[in-house]
Amino acid sequence: MKKIFKAVSLFAVSAVMACGFAACGGGGGGEEKDEAGNTIVKIMFHVDEKSTEGQAYKKRIDAFNTAYKDKKIKASATYQARTTGAAGYETELLNKQVEGTLPDIITFDAPNCASYAKSALLYDISSLVPQDVQSDFISLNKYDGKLYGLPIQESSAGFFYNKNIFKAANVDVSSYTVENPWTLAQFKDVCAKIKASGKTAVDMRLDATKDETATYLLYPFIYAAGGTFTSEDGFTASGYFNSAATQSGFQFLKDLVAEGYTSYSIGATDFFTGKTGMYLSSGWTIPEIENKYKETFKSRDDWGLLPYPQGTAKASATGSWCFGITNNHHKDKEAAKELLLWLTSTESSDSITTATGMIAARKSVNKNYADGSPESVLLKQLQLTGKARPSTVAYPTFSTCFSQVIYSLKDGNLSDVLNAQAKTLQSEMDRIPR
Amino acid sequence: MTGSTLIILAVFVAVFAGLAIWDIVRSKKKNEKFRLRSTVTAYLMLLPAVLLAFLFILLPILYSLGYAFTDYYLLTPNDIDFIGFDNFKNVFVEIGEKGTLYHAIINTLIFVVGVVPLQIGMALGLALFTNRKVRGVKIFKVCFFAPVVISLSVTSFLWLQILSPSDTGLLNSFLGIFGAKPHDWLRDPKTAMLCIIILSAWQGCGYQMLIFTSGLSNIRNDLYEAAALDGANAWQKFKTVTWPGLRSTFVYIIITVFIGACRIMTQPMLMTGYQDHTVTLSYYMYQQGYKYRWVGYSSAVALIMTLVIGTITLIQRRAFREK
Amino acid sequence: MKAKTLNVDGKTVELNSRLNGKRITKEVIYYLCGAVLSLMFLFPIIYMLATSTKSESAYAQGAGSLAMFFPDFAHLGTMFDNYSSVLTNYGIWKYALNSFLYAAIVIVLNVLVNGLAGYVMSKMRFPGKRLFSALIIFLIIVPVETSIIPLYSIVKIMLGLKQTASVLGIILPATISIFNVFLFMQFFQSIPKEYEEAARMDGSSTLGIFFKVILPLSKPIVATVAVFCFIGVWNDYLWPSMILPQTGADKWPLMPIQAALTTIQSMEGITTGEIMASLVITSIPIFVIYVAAQKYIVQGFGSAGLKM
Repeated sequence: MKKIFKAVSLFAVSAVMACGFAACGGGGGGEEKDEAGNTIVKIMFHVDEKSTEGQAYKKRIDAFNTAYKDKKIKASATYQARTTGAAGYETELLNKQVEGTLPDIITFDAPNCASYAKSALLYDISSLVPQDVQSDFISLNKYDGKLYGLPIQESSAGFFYNKNIFKAANVDVSSYTVENPWTLAQFKDVCAKIKASGKTAVDMRLDATKDETATYLLYPFIYAAGGTFTSEDGFTASGYFNSAATQSGFQFLKDLVAEGYTSYSIGATDFFTGKTGMYLSSGWTIPEIENKYKETFKSRDDWGLLPYPQGTAKASATGSWCFGITNNHHKDKEAAKELLLWLTSTESSDSITTATGMIAARKSVNKNYADGSPESVLLKQLQLTGKARPSTVAYPTFSTCFSQVIYSLKDGNLSDVLNAQAKTLQSEMDRIPR
Repeated sequence: MTGSTLIILAVFVAVFAGLAIWDIVRSKKKNEKFRLRSTVTAYLMLLPAVLLAFLFILLPILYSLGYAFTDYYLLTPNDIDFIGFDNFKNVFVEIGEKGTLYHAIINTLIFVVGVVPLQIGMALGLALFTNRKVRGVKIFKVCFFAPVVISLSVTSFLWLQILSPSDTGLLNSFLGIFGAKPHDWLRDPKTAMLCIIILSAWQGCGYQMLIFTSGLSNIRNDLYEAAALDGANAWQKFKTVTWPGLRSTFVYIIITVFIGACRIMTQPMLMTGYQDHTVTLSYYMYQQGYKYRWVGYSSAVALIMTLVIGTITLIQRRAFREK
Repeated sequence: MKAKTLNVDGKTVELNSRLNGKRITKEVIYYLCGAVLSLMFLFPIIYMLATSTKSESAYAQGAGSLAMFFPDFAHLGTMFDNYSSVLTNYGIWKYALNSFLYAAIVIVLNVLVNGLAGYVMSKMRFPGKRLFSALIIFLIIVPVETSIIPLYSIVKIMLGLKQTASVLGIILPATISIFNVFLFMQFFQSIPKEYEEAARMDGSSTLGIFFKVILPLSKPIVATVAVFCFIGVWNDYLWPSMILPQTGADKWPLMPIQAALTTIQSMEGITTGEIMASLVITSIPIFVIYVAAQKYIVQGFGSAGLKM
């Protein structure tokens, strides 16, 4: 009899345990304060604490805590590295939302703005950020006319080119600047000359369709041809994604493949070993060239950066990670606002981008880039021709559809492919509650 | 989650109690009573495993299957509504319109039909090859097992280099010696699945080789000697001694390889990305559930898939069971 | 030369020297085939080893050609630079130590928990057993891909947000493995009843029989389970990177090796050679353990019988 009692009580204990752990979710409602009476503002970063970027953030957080000691506000940061392949960062974010422990400020990738805003993860900061501050940013993250995010730093892309190959092929590109861009036809001419010289003309990164890379680098070509992807509100794709202008944009890319200027089989390091004339990539490639490939590129005399070619419209790639205030249990956003403005201030913007080598998000950060240097091309391009990817809740599906079009450029019938993808994207958009 | 966890626990305990009482009643009729002491010991010894399995395996599975009847959108986890069979309706609409799900089903079928015989055949071949008592066999076995433990990202990167569409790609330049034109192996719908089948079989067969080797080691040597005396050649020996001796190992391998093959996801993900000609069911579920954030819909696909795999597995068990 | 004779059951078989020569060619062919087959399965490792000795530009030069399977002969002096930089700059040994620790705990708990369950399921009669047998088959069949979201919530809610407790989030879910229960079940069924009965006569309790009689007889299956536990814990990266917090730069890290590697591999400035060097370092323990335990694994699977 004793044994039975023991067994029953063990089962009871396990049941109690089961409820116990289930019950301890949920958080408090009011403000959080530490023993010293400081209001705690929590922030979550998407990078590893030990990385250069993480260290730059850490310095700014420490400076904030010193500066706001008297105002009794204290920032507490966590770093959740966004590891490759794993959706760790977003999962962490969502579970914090379920638990009710969402930090006050989060970082998020620009294309997520629409879906995060629509599902009330983000707080509308239109009225929190002063107008003069807003107008100092090169770009803002808006959805439905409201402001949800301030960029940390800007990123853009362009065509890295091998000056020695260009010289050998007798190509002069010195007149092609952001203010006076080259046309799509001139782009093809350059390609033809390099091809004639026996090198692969350009690596358009057509094989980078497994993640966001190809979408990020190639969407400006569609805009440049006058095309669009979705309606303004992001809920209609039929008639946009498969419009004639959009098709002509993709057709340009298809022609590059057909005429042998680029292909799907260019090795990932071909540009860096002098086999390819141009390489479409983002600003991240600047330090890569300078640190890793000194044998091909001894100095900046050996390579340069060209802006996106332009057609009937102007467009270049933009969009990187930004700061946003969350819709969490803290109803008073005053302290979060202070930290947000601190981290996006001219001073922070300057010191963070000095560490990372990226372009500052604020216009008032005055970095003296040499005229015609890769950095100045990227900065001017952002200011003059930058155009964001479509703002839609169905962005992940858009990105896949775009990748699939790029993937099948070589063989498929373009208008069939576009119609099919437009249908897929539309049916996805129809599932989203308005 | 509190309430639903308790309900699941209560249902679990109720089902258990019901079955236990039925067993007790039946045993009394048959006069094979359970002894109290050993029953309690059994429960206590089972308890840690049951508790852990309930928390970390059963509960998550039940939750994810339960989501199939809700509109769970990954970004709004606090706002989940019960929507009945709507997700299942969408599943059948998607199949009917020959959407990506349709391709996923076809590709998974092709993969399973291709990889199960190939992988088992390769494993059996390697096991027979290494089933000799000569020097160096151990080294061979270690080599054949290597792909099983090497990180998938390394092997898939290498295969991408081998199958590279350019004329300098390893396979293309090799075939070029015989005058073949360079081919885009992974982009061509005719060869893409074949490549994925071959590389998956290559990657996994070392594990089944090991299990076959175990099976072979159980076959008594005198059976071979007897067959040799009857003048049997190698093939006859295999047919009359090896094959019958491997039967239960074979059933086990066919079922586990089949279940593993149905779940294939990583290889197409790393080799081609999300494309109609290589997408598989698990990959489709992953894309819908994580990337597009439709957890409810993705779970509905998972539920249907579980039912189908389960049914086939049960049929296999029936069919192969020793009479 | 005198012909060798062999006496088998009264029949005399002659083995002359010509036949001997044939046997040698047969052996040569066998080893040649073995070598070619081994190469077909080994080339990723050859590639890893070769690349781990190269600088970034040497690697880029060889990419896509057969040169990627050979080390950089031009710079043999700097062959181990990548290894020393990986070990000093990224502190890989700390993560490796973590992995060893987690694996050790998981192995002990896993053998205990699943071994006990397997024993009960294979040797004991009790009401309600059918439910558990059905559950085992069910849980082997269901795809688990979609259940990682609820699993994450359960673990997080259960353990709270404390840093040290999150280590339990690595260990506890890895402790239970239905497949191992199944393996134990199959193996224990092959142990004759006489052993237990003899021990029971001596007055041993059921638990005593399990520890004193059954486990010592089950070395092969325990070794098998231990090796696969080790490989599982060692190679897992997705789950730890979700569940474990990043500790401060000055504190001892919590991450196991593969999770740390995925972070290290995406760091700016790391070269392909360094990535490969880190992969080589992390593959070594798996190979050593696999080679050492191979004999037991074959026995383990063999005696388990594996009836589905």
